[in-house]
Amino acid sequence: MRKSSLCLAVITLFLVKLPSNGNAAEITLLESPAAKASSLSRVVATNSGNVLLSWVESDGESDALYYSTLSDDEFSKPQLISSGTDWFVNWADFPFVIATGQSMTAHWLQKRDEGTYNYDVVAVFRDPETQMWSKPRIIHNDGVSAEHGFVGMLPLSGERTLISWLDGRNTASHDAHDASGHGSGGMTLRAGIFDTDGNTLTEWELDELVCDCCQTSVAMSSEGPVIVYRDRTKSELRDIYITRLEGESWTTPVSVYVDNWEIAGCPVNGPSVAAFEDQVAVGWFSAKGDQPKVSLSLSADDGASFSKTLTVAQQNTNGRVSVAVLDSGKAVISWLETAGKMASLKVAAYNYDGDLLDSATVAGTVSSRQSGFPAMTSSGNDVFLTWTEVASVKQVRIARVRF
Amino acid sequence: MKTRIFTLLSLAVLFTSSLGIAEQGKPDTQRWTVVNYWSITCAPCRVEIPELNQLFSELQSVDIRLVGVNFDEDDRERTLMLEERMGIEFPTLRQNQVDALSVSPPNVLPTTLILSPDGTEKARLIGAQTRESIKLKLSQLLGAAQ
Repeated sequence: MRKSSLCLAVITLFLVKLPSNGNAAEITLLESPAAKASSLSRVVATNSGNVLLSWVESDGESDALYYSTLSDDEFSKPQLISSGTDWFVNWADFPFVIATGQSMTAHWLQKRDEGTYNYDVVAVFRDPETQMWSKPRIIHNDGVSAEHGFVGMLPLSGERTLISWLDGRNTASHDAHDASGHGSGGMTLRAGIFDTDGNTLTEWELDELVCDCCQTSVAMSSEGPVIVYRDRTKSELRDIYITRLEGESWTTPVSVYVDNWEIAGCPVNGPSVAAFEDQVAVGWFSAKGDQPKVSLSLSADDGASFSKTLTVAQQNTNGRVSVAVLDSGKAVISWLETAGKMASLKVAAYNYDGDLLDSATVAGTVSSRQSGFPAMTSSGNDVFLTWTEVASVKQVRIARVRF
Repeated sequence: MKTRIFTLLSLAVLFTSSLGIAEQGKPDTQRWTVVNYWSITCAPCRVEIPELNQLFSELQSVDIRLVGVNFDEDDRERTLMLEERMGIEFPTLRQNQVDALSVSPPNVLPTTLILSPDGTEKARLIGAQTRESIKLKLSQLLGAAQ
């Protein structure tokens, strides 16, 4: 890996054009800074327009979180943030890092000794002046042995970080765990704002009953942060909901779109939200009536309402959606299109009238959980999409897409 | 209670009937199979494990197979570790065995499939099951098969 890192300093781009189904999508496969045996990648944009790629390397004994920054078409040497033998890492719920102004925030899930299925969300915050990482700290102060995870992170002004997470404190029985380690309460959605020392500045419970194992997603609109997640009602409807921070409090969560998908289980397939100024895009998977579908909803008023909901893909998809909104106003969505055991990583761009502008296949992969959750971000009008290539060994890949 | 006795009797009768739908010791490919998809991250999956363990032991006497699938597709070593940690007493299939089932993977957890002896998917049960709910479905399917 380190040898390849040296090579990265010299050559960072394979100018490999991949096929596009449409008119204008230009796909460039970038040379991945991640080693072989890497997976579980995320990509985020920094305030300065650079791109931060993070991934996990596992050797069976321990897991390690790395990142590299793409600047002027060159990935930096991979940097280790932390590693541990007691992390809880899962194909759908894994560590990542974001940039917060001049700093960064990273998180992972750490198992608790006392509970069979219990783990905490642990975060580290890098000091903007010293560039030193803080000591790891558990971001929730419930002290309850339960499941906590499916984190969303968003940079705020003043080097602060908004973190959303699923919090199982109410699922833990108070006296003794039952056979499943589960109590009678539901999974909750919580969020907090943290400073660079990791201090909790404020914390909220946003929804008292949400889907147990779907990712949360956060974005910054011109009016403030929005969080999307898969809700759960007592009658087991699991539609996608949004809540917005207005001043000091969050709006009452409302559905982005009424799928009325009733399932007494979890699809492990969370929504994705992105925003640019007042434009907010939400993408998600559903399978009402066992009919798989990827949808995209568009808002032009900071997520207060959604005027367009589009069916992006149906039947041959297992979701795993990511979205981005370009400075040009285009909404871009990625998803997996399935063909038996194989899958294609697809990407499509829409204008804000909901018209399909272009679509393309970025990579071939497998439809199983091995291919993980591809992730996307935008910087200006460039889209960066990362995924795990599944071959004899897994390796994180990244491409730039221009529409 | 009456339902439970009925279900058990139905299964017993069906599997010892002169039609010989399920003779003891038949190859896996000639038996009805219950396939449970589980994940360490799925709380309702963990809730149903004790029920499935009990069902596993009951179904052995009537020669119906109950197997698990690690939805997360972890490697074998980790799968076996998780299997032990979750207290799963029925066998978890290897990936090549899962592939051989030729069923479409579930969109939701927990999901339990019931496959006929020829491998056809006859039922897809979504959400946490009890041994009674699975036995009831089995008896319906086996009754229809006669």
